[in-house]
Amino acid sequence: MACTFHARLSAPLKPNLYSQTSLCWRRALIADAIASTCSTTQGRGNAAILTCNAQAAPAAVNLAPGTPVRPTSILVVGATGTLGRQVVRRALDEGYDVRCLVRARPAPADFLRDWGATVVNADLSKPETIPATLVGIHTVIDCATGRPEEPIKTVDWEGKVALIQCAKAMGIQKYVFFSIHNCDKHPEVPLMEIKYCTEKFLRDSGLNHVTIRLCGFMQGLIGQYAVPILEEKSVWGTDAPTRIAYMDTQDIARLTFIALRNENINGKLLTFAGPRAWTTQEVITLCERLAGQDANVTTVPVSILRFTRQLTRLFEWTSDVADRLAFSEVLSSDTVFSVPMSDTYTLLGVDPKEVSSLEKYLQDYFANILKKLKDLKAQSKQSDIYF
Amino acid sequence: MSSTTAALTPNLFNNNNHPCNRRWRQISLPHSTPPAANGGRRSFLTRAAASPTGKEKKKKKNQNKETEIEETEEKLVPLDDGEITSSVEAIKSRLDEVNPVGLGRKSRQIFDEVWRKFSGLGQISRTTRTDDDEAALLIREGGPMCEFAVPGAQNTTVLVVGATSRVGRIVVRKLMLRGYTVKALVRNTDKEVVDMLPTSVEVVTGDVGEPSTLKTAIEGCNKIIYCATARSSITGDLNRVDNLGVYNLTKAFQDYNNKLAQLRAGKSSKSKLLIAKFKSEDSLNGWEVRQGTYFQDVVAAKYDGGMDAKFEFTEEGNAVFSGYVFTRGGFIDLSKKLSLPLGCTLDRYEGLVFSVGGNGRSYVIILEAGPLADTSQSKMYFARISTKVGFCRVRVPFSTFRPVTPEDPPLDPFLVHTLTVRFEPRRQRPTDRPVGAKQDLRSFQLIFEYIKALPTGQETDFILVSCTGSGIEPGRREQVLKAKKAGEDTLRRSGLGYTIIRPGPLVEEPGGQRALIFDQGNRISQGISCADVADICVKALHDSTARNKSFDVCYEYVAEPGKELYELVAHLPDKANNYLTPALSVLEKNT
Repeated sequence: MACTFHARLSAPLKPNLYSQTSLCWRRALIADAIASTCSTTQGRGNAAILTCNAQAAPAAVNLAPGTPVRPTSILVVGATGTLGRQVVRRALDEGYDVRCLVRARPAPADFLRDWGATVVNADLSKPETIPATLVGIHTVIDCATGRPEEPIKTVDWEGKVALIQCAKAMGIQKYVFFSIHNCDKHPEVPLMEIKYCTEKFLRDSGLNHVTIRLCGFMQGLIGQYAVPILEEKSVWGTDAPTRIAYMDTQDIARLTFIALRNENINGKLLTFAGPRAWTTQEVITLCERLAGQDANVTTVPVSILRFTRQLTRLFEWTSDVADRLAFSEVLSSDTVFSVPMSDTYTLLGVDPKEVSSLEKYLQDYFANILKKLKDLKAQSKQSDIYF
Repeated sequence: MSSTTAALTPNLFNNNNHPCNRRWRQISLPHSTPPAANGGRRSFLTRAAASPTGKEKKKKKNQNKETEIEETEEKLVPLDDGEITSSVEAIKSRLDEVNPVGLGRKSRQIFDEVWRKFSGLGQISRTTRTDDDEAALLIREGGPMCEFAVPGAQNTTVLVVGATSRVGRIVVRKLMLRGYTVKALVRNTDKEVVDMLPTSVEVVTGDVGEPSTLKTAIEGCNKIIYCATARSSITGDLNRVDNLGVYNLTKAFQDYNNKLAQLRAGKSSKSKLLIAKFKSEDSLNGWEVRQGTYFQDVVAAKYDGGMDAKFEFTEEGNAVFSGYVFTRGGFIDLSKKLSLPLGCTLDRYEGLVFSVGGNGRSYVIILEAGPLADTSQSKMYFARISTKVGFCRVRVPFSTFRPVTPEDPPLDPFLVHTLTVRFEPRRQRPTDRPVGAKQDLRSFQLIFEYIKALPTGQETDFILVSCTGSGIEPGRREQVLKAKKAGEDTLRRSGLGYTIIRPGPLVEEPGGQRALIFDQGNRISQGISCADVADICVKALHDSTARNKSFDVCYEYVAEPGKELYELVAHLPDKANNYLTPALSVLEKNT
């Protein structure tokens, strides 16, 4: 039985996790099942794993220890995301062997394979698909978040719980988890609450882990403000006073790997923030200046957002929408998404000057895109001759 | 709920009817593909799509024209041909204005857009992406903003030999991330081999031991990174991969370069510049024979046999420079003022090549450099060459020329105006001859075929990952080193710009962690991460200081007492700064 199970696990991958896997399987999972805070689907996940392992433990003792897991083998969960892809690039460049856990999609994430990563298909919402992907992995980097259109619980909570349990059971030696800054202070926002609970769950699991809280991605601003301004479409912003210290995902990825290799940071909670916190209005003004054109700004008062959320909460069929608008609660408060980074920089041994600022980032973006547009215009003029 | 999700699909770049949008679409962005069915979206979309088409069917008879246009538009949009699309769209939008279906669709799209933006405000800012704009975003993120992109990478094709080795794998990935075109040479295209390589790498089948297979592999390549090594210690294998492999590949690469040079009729940057070709009587015009002595010894001059020399075109069709020098301190010069083709200067070249035959004497090549208008300011530079008995080609890099007056600046090939070949009886070495044949070292004969200038290259063409030998078990070491050494020598002799990297024992760990030491002369003792070696390979591709250098590299270490006399250069690899140039600039070339 044990043999068949292992054969199944290792078929698509390298069989080098024999020892750790088989020895701690049962004990860890049962302990987790008792200790865990989540009940329903996790039971389902465990059941699936346990059934194929019911007779595994006694036989497993006989297995000779396999090849030790190489410290350069990492698994990136959520590799197609904004942060995930930068993590993959950085990892590949630093010489890691990167495996990416992605959902099977009609349009596969070919760019990951183009860069030289290995892609395995699995789905966090289907726990039985997870263990096979963890074979031979030293470190798991988890940058997954459910898509906005899907129910928040399946991936962000149940999926994560299953992944952490699997990682624990299969002897993963480090687990990096990306969370949201201030997630402990806003339990009314479902995603933040879930992130906070996952942080706690990870701590309690006893896995060797690093939790990194993030504030905001500069890359997100491109689609939100920069592109609409260039397209002369209307830009929507709130009048919220909330400030967010946006950070370049490339910097986040860089710092993450420094933190990952630093043994002193095990089990710690780090917060990464950009050099300066910005309000929505400030970002729009900056984009306008760099694009050289005025934006057609539609300002929505936060009160309307809150009202809509209250309204949509009343009906069950709109509760998803209400969840998605939940961040308006945070917006209406005077929160600043930023932390002083000097301690983190010294801890990681990083030069603060190397972290890029939003002005520089957007400046590069606009310079680049305006140049491209110019080229394209020149090209389209050439084609005019033919008609 | 459903309305919002549907709103996400006709995304940012994909609102055919949105008036503000049209301008942008004409300019660039990715055309629409049918929205990807995705979980909850599907049901609504089919419904939404169903209603208008149903109506259209009813109207089909009277509105045949519109459906036709609609169809043509669908065909044209994927072409993304700015002009056609926009004109068709103009007609279509005019029709849409009066068409209730179009109006309804438009208003729904406007509402969806508004709702999408509105709901976006209430969310934690995360970027929502559909598969459609993936490509566009990748282009943007891979553009100049990408920290990895390297200028010049776009036009460079690199052939990686040993792409599945520990270093090779990382080299390939790094090249891909930087935007190079990569070809990988593999022996067999089994699935597990191909799976190890990024999908966009062009895999070519071939074996470095089989010269015939390399011809296709090398096609279109500008540079080679060679990180293959023999898997066994059988001498045959070692020789085949580490020595013959390098030989075959350099030969294939040179052949390919020559072919390119021929195709471009000698105008390619790879072709040599002809300075003189001796195939007729006329070609001897302009060459002067002169004699001279280094010192005047009046007494001795009375008794020695004097000297004589001539440069003539023989009946066999050879240009022969021959004579004898019996005078002590005498020499004979054969010199010519160079007349280069218009637009050519020697600074684009890195040396001279002489194709000569003769009796194996050594000669001194003298170049006079200075402003043409005033030859009195010319400075002399010399380099000694030795020839073999019979025909041979001698390469003289400009870098080997030393000024006659030591305080003169180093030779600037741009200013060279006169070339002199000098024979002097001093420092002649007897050549290997059948025993008994008497040779007089004071007589000489030199048959000239041609003199050409070798084209220069700023960058290295061939990067070879060799090894220092430490870390190999003693029984094997000698064999391995012998093969590697032979391979290195082959490469140095090939005439290609080379970089030979000899890393310490390889460690599999992430790169960029520890300071590195670059050194020459087999003194290093530490290991190095595969990723760091790969990084050096990639950096060396465009680094002029890396050209024609061989160096050892390993992690930084503290030298043992008594051995710290050597100055070693340590640098912490960092993506932001280029550590390679300063580290290599202090190392010797052509060692």
